Amino acid sequence: MSQPLKCSLCEEAATVHLSQVVQGKVTKVHLCEACAQKGGATDPAIFQLADALTAPVVAPSLICPHCGFTDIDFRKRGRLGCPDCWKTFGDALGGLLIKVQHEATHVGRSPVGIAPVGQMRHRLEAARSEMAAAIAAEDFEGAARLRDEIAQLELQLRNS
Amino acid sequence: MSVQDILSAENELTHMLGAQQAVVLSTRIRLARNLDGMPFPGWAKVPQRKEIAERCVEALNHLPKFRRGHVLRMGELTDLDRAVLVERHLVSKELASGKFGAAVISKDQTCSVMINEEDHLRIQVVKAGWHLRGTWNIAEQLDDALGPDLKFAFSEKLGYLTACPTNVGTGLRASAMVHLPGLCLAGHMEKVSRALSQDGLAVRGWLGEGTEAAGNIFQISNQQTLGLSEDAILRHLGGWIKNVVEQEWNARRKLATEEGDKFVDRLSRSLGVLRYARLLTSAESMNMLSHLRLACDMGCLPEERRHIVDRLMIEGQPAHVQMRQGCELDSDGRDVRRASVVREALRDFPELGPPTA
Repeated sequence: MSQPLKCSLCEEAATVHLSQVVQGKVTKVHLCEACAQKGGATDPAIFQLADALTAPVVAPSLICPHCGFTDIDFRKRGRLGCPDCWKTFGDALGGLLIKVQHEATHVGRSPVGIAPVGQMRHRLEAARSEMAAAIAAEDFEGAARLRDEIAQLELQLRNS
Repeated sequence: MSVQDILSAENELTHMLGAQQAVVLSTRIRLARNLDGMPFPGWAKVPQRKEIAERCVEALNHLPKFRRGHVLRMGELTDLDRAVLVERHLVSKELASGKFGAAVISKDQTCSVMINEEDHLRIQVVKAGWHLRGTWNIAEQLDDALGPDLKFAFSEKLGYLTACPTNVGTGLRASAMVHLPGLCLAGHMEKVSRALSQDGLAVRGWLGEGTEAAGNIFQISNQQTLGLSEDAILRHLGGWIKNVVEQEWNARRKLATEEGDKFVDRLSRSLGVLRYARLLTSAESMNMLSHLRLACDMGCLPEERRHIVDRLMIEGQPAHVQMRQGCELDSDGRDVRRASVVREALRDFPELGPPTA
C-alpha cells in the first residue's frame, strides 16, 4: 500500500489536496484539515507559504536572541516568535515576502509619534514623476507646486 | 454580563432595514497589532499571555468606544458561548479554541478586539451594508487611540510587525460580505472568484477561512498587506466590490427576465419548504433563505421582510439554535428546532409577486 500523504505544514495526515496551475507550472500542496481551515484552502498565498516551509530542513542556523525562536521553528509553524524575530529572520524571509506580498517595503501608516517615512518616500517618488510629466506637458504652474512639495518632503525625510 | 445579553441586544447586523444591504451584507476592517518586546501569543509562555491580555484589556477599557461594552475571557466561557460568538463573527475559531484569548466588544457590537489570537491584538470594525470609508475611519481612530498606551511593534521598513508574514506591513484586512445568488444561479461564480483571486483578492465562505459558501454568501478581502498604503488597499477592494455588485445585479435581472415564471417558482418553492418543513439542516435553510433574500431584493416580497431573513440566517446556525433552546442538541434535534424557529418567523409571509427591481 502506498504511504499516506502528510500535511505540508505539519505532520498530520493530509486530507485536502490542492493543485495550482500558474503559467503552465503545476504546484501541489497537501494539507490536513486543520491547516487547510487555518490557511484558507482558496488562499493563493498558501502555496507560497507551503513552498517555503517544505524546503529541506538543515540544522537551525538562525536564532532570535530575544525569544529563542529558530528558523526550524518557523518552518514548523509558519509564524514568528516575537517582533524582534523580524530583525533576525528579516533577510532570510525577504524572498518569501516577495512571493507572498509581492513587495518588501511598508508604505502605509505609522504609529502616532513616528514619522510615516515609508509613506513620505512613496509620495516623493510619485511627486518626482508627476513633476517630470508636468514639465513635459508644459504645465509649469503644476510643476512649481510639485517642486515645493518635493522640497518639503525631502526636508521632512532628512529630519525624521 | 453574558453572551446571551450580546445576542439579545439590538445591533446593526440583525436589526437594520435598508436597501443598501441588498448585495453587500457588511463591511469589515481588521488591523493586526502587537506589543513591542512581547513574544507573539503562539510562542509566549502562559504568564506572558496573561500579562498581554491584562495590558490590552486595561488599555481598551480606557477608550470611550468600549464604555459599557463587554470583556469576554475565553477560558471563562462555555463551549456553546464560544461557538455562538464565532457564528456571530465576533471572535475567530482560533481565538475561541484557546484558553488565554479574550475579546473586548463595544456596546453596539460594531467594534470587537480579539486579544491573544495569532497576534496580540486584532482590531475589528464591522458595519452593516457597504461603508468602506466609514468603517476604516473607526478602525483608524481606535488604532491611534490605543497607540500611546500600548507601544506597537513597528519597523520603518516592514511596518507593523505581525506573527505571520501574510499580515506584516499595514496589518490591514478589509473585507465585504456579499450575497451573490444571481451569479451563483447563473453559474458565473467560479469565473468571478478566479478573476478576484488573480487580482490579489481572497474569496471565502461565510464563516471565513476554509468554510463553504453556504447561502451564496462570500467574503471578499485583500491579500496583500505590505507595499501598499491603506488607501490603495481600500481603493482596490472598493473598485472590485463595485464591479461585483454590478455584475450580480445584471445576473439577477437577466435571470428574472429570461426565466420569467420559472424564476418566481424557484423562489416560491423555497418559501414553501421553509414554511412547512419539520426538519431543516443548516445548509438547506441557508440556501433557501438566500432565495427569500433574493425575492426581497427583487421586489417579489416586500423589502421590509429582508431583515427577518437576515436574522434567520444568523439564528439558524447550530450554536445559535442550541443557545435559544437553552441546552445542547444533537444534529437531529437542531434540525427540528431550526425548522420550528423558521416556520414561526415566516408564518405571515405573503405569496411572492412578480419581480419589480
